[in-house]
Formats: sequence, C-alpha cells, structure tokens
Amino acid sequence: MHHEPVQAKLFTKWSIPLLALMLAGAAAFVARFAFGLGATTNLSNNYPWGLWIVFDLIWIALAGGAFVTAGIVYVFHGEKYHVLARPAVWMGLLSYSFVVVTLLADLGLPWHFWQLAVQMPEHSAMYEVSWCVGLYVTVLALEFAPTVFERFGWNRLRDIWRTWSPVYTVAALGLFTFLMSHQIWMAAVATVLFAVIAWLTRPSADRTGVPVILIIAAVTFSTMHQSSLGSLFLLMPDKLHPLWWSPFLSILFFLSAIASGIALVMLMDMTVSRVFRRPWNGEVLAGMGRILLGALVVYYAARIADVAARGQLAALSGRPGALFLIEVLGGGLVPVLLLSTDALRRKKAPLISAALLAMLGVMFHRVNVVLLGMRLPGTMPGGPTETYYPSLVEWLVSLSLVAAAIFFFGLGAKLLPILPRLEPTAERAAGASDAATRG
Amino acid sequence: MSKAVLEDTTRCLGCRSCQVACKQANDLPAERTHLEKRRLGFQNPAALSAKTFTVVTNHEVEDPRAPAGLRWVFAKRSCMHCLEPACVSACPVTALHKETDGPVTYDSEKCLGCRYCVWACPFGVPTAEWDSLAPRIRKCTLCFDRLRDAAAPAELNGKAAPPEAQARMAEAQAKPACVAACPTGALMFGERDALLAEAHRRIAEHPERYVAHVYGEKEAGGTSLLYLAAVPFDRIGFRTDLGERSVPSHSVPAMSAVPPAVIAAGGLLAGIYFLSRRRAEVKAKQAAPAKDAPEAAVPQDRKE
Ligand code: SF4
Ligand code: SF4
Repeated sequence: MHHEPVQAKLFTKWSIPLLALMLAGAAAFVARFAFGLGATTNLSNNYPWGLWIVFDLIWIALAGGAFVTAGIVYVFHGEKYHVLARPAVWMGLLSYSFVVVTLLADLGLPWHFWQLAVQMPEHSAMYEVSWCVGLYVTVLALEFAPTVFERFGWNRLRDIWRTWSPVYTVAALGLFTFLMSHQIWMAAVATVLFAVIAWLTRPSADRTGVPVILIIAAVTFSTMHQSSLGSLFLLMPDKLHPLWWSPFLSILFFLSAIASGIALVMLMDMTVSRVFRRPWNGEVLAGMGRILLGALVVYYAARIADVAARGQLAALSGRPGALFLIEVLGGGLVPVLLLSTDALRRKKAPLISAALLAMLGVMFHRVNVVLLGMRLPGTMPGGPTETYYPSLVEWLVSLSLVAAAIFFFGLGAKLLPILPRLEPTAERAAGASDAATRG
Repeated sequence: MSKAVLEDTTRCLGCRSCQVACKQANDLPAERTHLEKRRLGFQNPAALSAKTFTVVTNHEVEDPRAPAGLRWVFAKRSCMHCLEPACVSACPVTALHKETDGPVTYDSEKCLGCRYCVWACPFGVPTAEWDSLAPRIRKCTLCFDRLRDAAAPAELNGKAAPPEAQARMAEAQAKPACVAACPTGALMFGERDALLAEAHRRIAEHPERYVAHVYGEKEAGGTSLLYLAAVPFDRIGFRTDLGERSVPSHSVPAMSAVPPAVIAAGGLLAGIYFLSRRRAEVKAKQAAPAKDAPEAAVPQDRKE
C-alpha cells in the first residue's frame, strides 16, 4: 500500500470558518482560566459535569474507529480495508488529543495531573480511564509515526521505531496491568504474554510492516477505556434512570463504541472522497457497511436484552421511554434495515443514512447517560434542581475543537502521506466519485 | 474502631449552634441569607456548598401525636461519612480517603478537580468552589484534625490551667465542633456500635416517641452519621430510595475485571491474528495456481 499527500491548496474557503471558530474557542479557553469555571460555565454542584463530558464521551466513542479499523486491517487481516487504516489513525490521534484539551479545561485543578502518577487508588474508573487514555494516545502516536518518517525520509528513525516501539508497548501494557491490579505477578504475566506476542508477530526480516503488537496494544487499551467510561456511571445507580444504568454499562459502552467507530470511519471516507474529489470507495464502504451491520446487531441486541432482563422494557413510559425508543429505533433498527442487503449497501443514499444514524444513535446514548437520563436529587438536603444549559464558553471550547479536528485532518491529508495513492488509471476528474459507485 | 455521630432529632431545637460552630471550626465565609420559607421553613442556606459544610433543616410535619397535629422536626445534615463511601471509590487520586476510625477526609494537594465525587455521592455532599480560580472540593471531615490532636491549652487567661479545666477542654476538643456545640445533647459522638445500641435502646424504651428506624444503620451500606426521628425519614428530606447496598459495590466487579481482561484481550487478539493469517495464507496458496488473478494473492477480507 502506497500513500501520498493529497494535491490540494492548503487553505480553502472552508478554512476560514474553521479558523474563525478555532480562534473563538481559544479565546473561550483563555477566558475559562482567567475567570474560573464558575464564572464561565453553567456547571454547578447539581450539574458538576456537562457539555464537555458529553463531548468527551461522544468523541472517544467515535474515535473508536481508529482501533476498530486497525484491528480489522492488521489483526483480522482485512487487507481490503487497508486504505482506511492511516486516515482512521490520524483521526483517532487528533480526537484523543483534543479530548485531553477539553479535559484540561474541565478539570478544576489540572496542574495536579501528575498526582495520577503517584497515587494508586483501588477500583476508580476515573483512574483507569486517565491512565488508559494517556497510554493509548502514545500508542496512537506510535501507530502514526511511520507516516511522518515516510514523508521526510527519516529511515533511521523508522528503524529505531520498529525496534523499540514494541518494547515500549509491552512495557506500557505491563505497567497498566500493575497499576490496575496492584499485583506484581499479574503485571509479570501480562508483560511476559505481550512480550511473547510481540516476538511472534515481529515485523518480517526485511524490516517492513507495522509491529503487530502496536495494534494489539491499541485494541486492548481501547477495549479497556471504552468500557471503563461506562463503568464511570456504575457509581450512580441512584441517579441514572434504569433504562441506562445497568451493571453491564461497561460492556454496552464498548459495543456501542465499536458501532459508532465504524460508522464514523465510513463517514470520514465518504467525506474525504467528496471533499478531495477522489473516487467513491464503493467496495470498501459496502464491506464496512456489512461490518457495521454486525456491530449494530450485536450492540442493540445486548442493549435491549439488558433492559428487558431488568424488567424495564415492560415499564417503558414517559420521557425516558421516548428517549430510549428514539435511541433504539432511530439509531439501531433503521440503520440495520438500511444495511440489511448487499444491494442496499452498494447504494450511496442508504449507506450514508445508515452510517449517520448509527453514529447519531450512539451520540444520543451518551447525551442520555450524562444529562437527559439523570435524575438529580440535588445538593444536600436535596430539592428541585434547575435545568442545565451549556454556556457560550462551554459551546465555544467544544465546537472549536471539533473545527480544529476537521481542519487538522485536512491539513494532515495534504501534507503527509495519509491517504492511499490513487492508481494512475483511476479517473481523477471531478465526476469520478459518481462514476465510482459502479464498483 | 469506627467513630460516629448519632443525632436524635427529637432532642434538636433547631438552634443551629452546630451550624455556626462548623463555620468557625472550618473558618468558612458567610453566605447571603436566602429564605425559601414555603419549601424550607427557616432553613438557611438552601443547600450545602463550599461555604457551608453542615445545615440544619426545618420541616413542619403533620403528626397526630403532636399537639395541634403539627410537629417541627430539625435535622443537622452533612457528609454521612459512609462506611463504604462512593466519593472515595470515585476519586482517581485518593484525594478523598476513608480513615480507619471513620472520617472521610479530603486532601486538596492531590485533587484534580474532576468532580466525579460530586456526581457519585448519593447524598449530594461534596461541593466545588465554583467562584475560585483553583476550585477545591469542600465537605465536612468530621473534624478529624480535632479528633487526632485533641490537646487542651496549658494556659487559661494567662495562668496555668487547673487540671479539671484542662480535662474538660480536652474532652470538648476530642469531638467534632458541631457535637461539642450542641446544647441539648441531640448530637452524640462515640463508637458507632455503641451509638447504634443506644439508638435501638431509645426506640425500644419509647416506641411512642420514635419511628422504628435508625437512619444510617444500613442505608447505602451504612454510614457514620446516624439519625433517630419521630416521623418517617422521607418526610424530613432524607433519601429513602438508596437501599442497603453500598454504592462502590456496583463498580468493584467491573473494575476488578480490568487486569484479567487485559491479559485475556491480548491472548484473544493474538489468537485471531494467527488464525486469520493462516487463513489468508491458505487462500493465497489456493489462488496461486491461477496466475491470471494476481489480486487474489492479496489476503481478502475474511471477517464474518
Ligand atoms: S456522604 Fe457522600 S461525601 Fe460523605 S462519605 Fe458518603 S459518599 Fe462521601
Ligand atoms: S474532584 Fe478531586 S476529590 Fe473529587 S474525585 Fe476528582 S480528584 Fe477526587
């Protein structure tokens, strides 16, 4: 697989609104630190988490596309989907980085972050997520590194990377296991296991290819933090409505992240072919559509079975019931129908709609978990709580980071060999994308 | 052993000495008076905050046993110092900590300000300093510092303190400030077991005076603040929907599963990798004789 930067102007008419939004967001970020959380956000003791956490959860769920794609391509040997691997990792790296930026704004005392390295709480989902996301970002960066080496011809660095990134990855997995278990023997088992895997899957003697242990680590870390993001809410059985609270929240978060991640990667590829006037990857997208179908069926089957098993399906009523139905029908049933046959998956309109709905369904689930499905008893001694609406600063910080992700994704695609090189025979005329639906 | 506070609300006058003593002991600023008489009676302020760690609630409750059928019930509310605190289990940096002798304490030097504890606490206790540029979490600590180094001053008004005065002062020091300030004995400090026994003794002795329930004995896994009342607790603003299971017990299974899951995931992924590589090789070999189909040599998608 060869990649090359997209030949296009670095700044287009789209850059202006994106840059303007980024500038406004930067100002909002400064304001948040200059005037404090209370003055610039609508967060309160009743709503200690708000829009920023919703964005974090949504973003991480969508950025799950990075680990799912890497897993499909390198672990399941889905060679056909190789074209998606680099853009998905680039998207993931940007997303996770901007989630960290959001967290910086959200934390009241972010300069104490190093305490995470010196304290070892037991059973704190927040601790798990912090470490796991942190380590995963480094693995994503290592996954992305060869793109940069290739662009600048840094072959020596690439060789160092190939030798040492597996060592780092194995160490990271061992460290993580130790921090979570507090058991040396557990960490030792993990380290030995991953070292053996790294050795058995090492790149071939001609020193080509990606160290597979990087991908295995990426999938492992993702599995862990995607599910632990759900575990965060296990401590709120008294607040989160039973249509959302479940002892299996972690598993539901993980399964939904797979579905929304695939949907996002599909939408990303569709957008790329449209914006950069590249051919429509009909074959690849139809295949991804099939995988999305499987992921949706598994996730929503688990979701509905869980709700039914706890006797909540029969008790469906009121606003929570409506929100749940929107989620399950709009985000689950409709896209499943739209993806149900091979013929449908090869048509643009159903495929685009299905991916969009699948993504929106999971986004809506996260909004429900953090805000709409919460029944807040209020600060002691309790009482009615006023509704929370995000402030301008909160919106600006979050939206500007989305703008930044879009902007930098495009910039990266134009500067670095992220997208696959188009075959010389491929039609590169403006109408190419339409013509390509045939395939 | 674990210390606790028992409040017998039938002995509480609503004088709020405890509320004032708490402000002094913790050096907390005043709040602007804001009365919601219809909903809260003379309770002030309306809720705990970074400036108020304890508040006395006022409820006028219908009670046929009371003269004129109405009864005022006051309760001193604050952190419950849960036996298995949700806040401690939430905290990613152990800034919140359950001391072995009962108090749930907080260390702002460790805190990230993530406010997960605020979300997690079933009683709505931890609060953040929203008007600060470095917002700490604030809540009652059961005056654990007073309990630890309870020492009476050796001098009183410039003269050596007489031993009995010293003993009296030391004893007053060795309790939370609210308990020390209570003029009626409605608040008692001591061993949790002893206080529970005392609470049940009072209920047994005067069944006409109390509802037969010690709030905090079992709620959310048990708490170190225990309450007696003449009326059902849901009528005086206590949550009665929490059940007896501790909050952390819901997340412990998921979190303990993480390390083994890491190992299992690694093994599983490696297994899938080798299996699918083998299948790709077999497929490539089968396709190899057909020289005219070179793409087939590339492993195709074999998911599902
Ligand atoms: S009442 Fe809330 S803040 Fe106090 S110990 Fe229990 S969980 Fe923690
Ligand atoms: S806000 Fe501070 S004390 Fe509360 S959970 Fe986060 S780090 Fe711990």
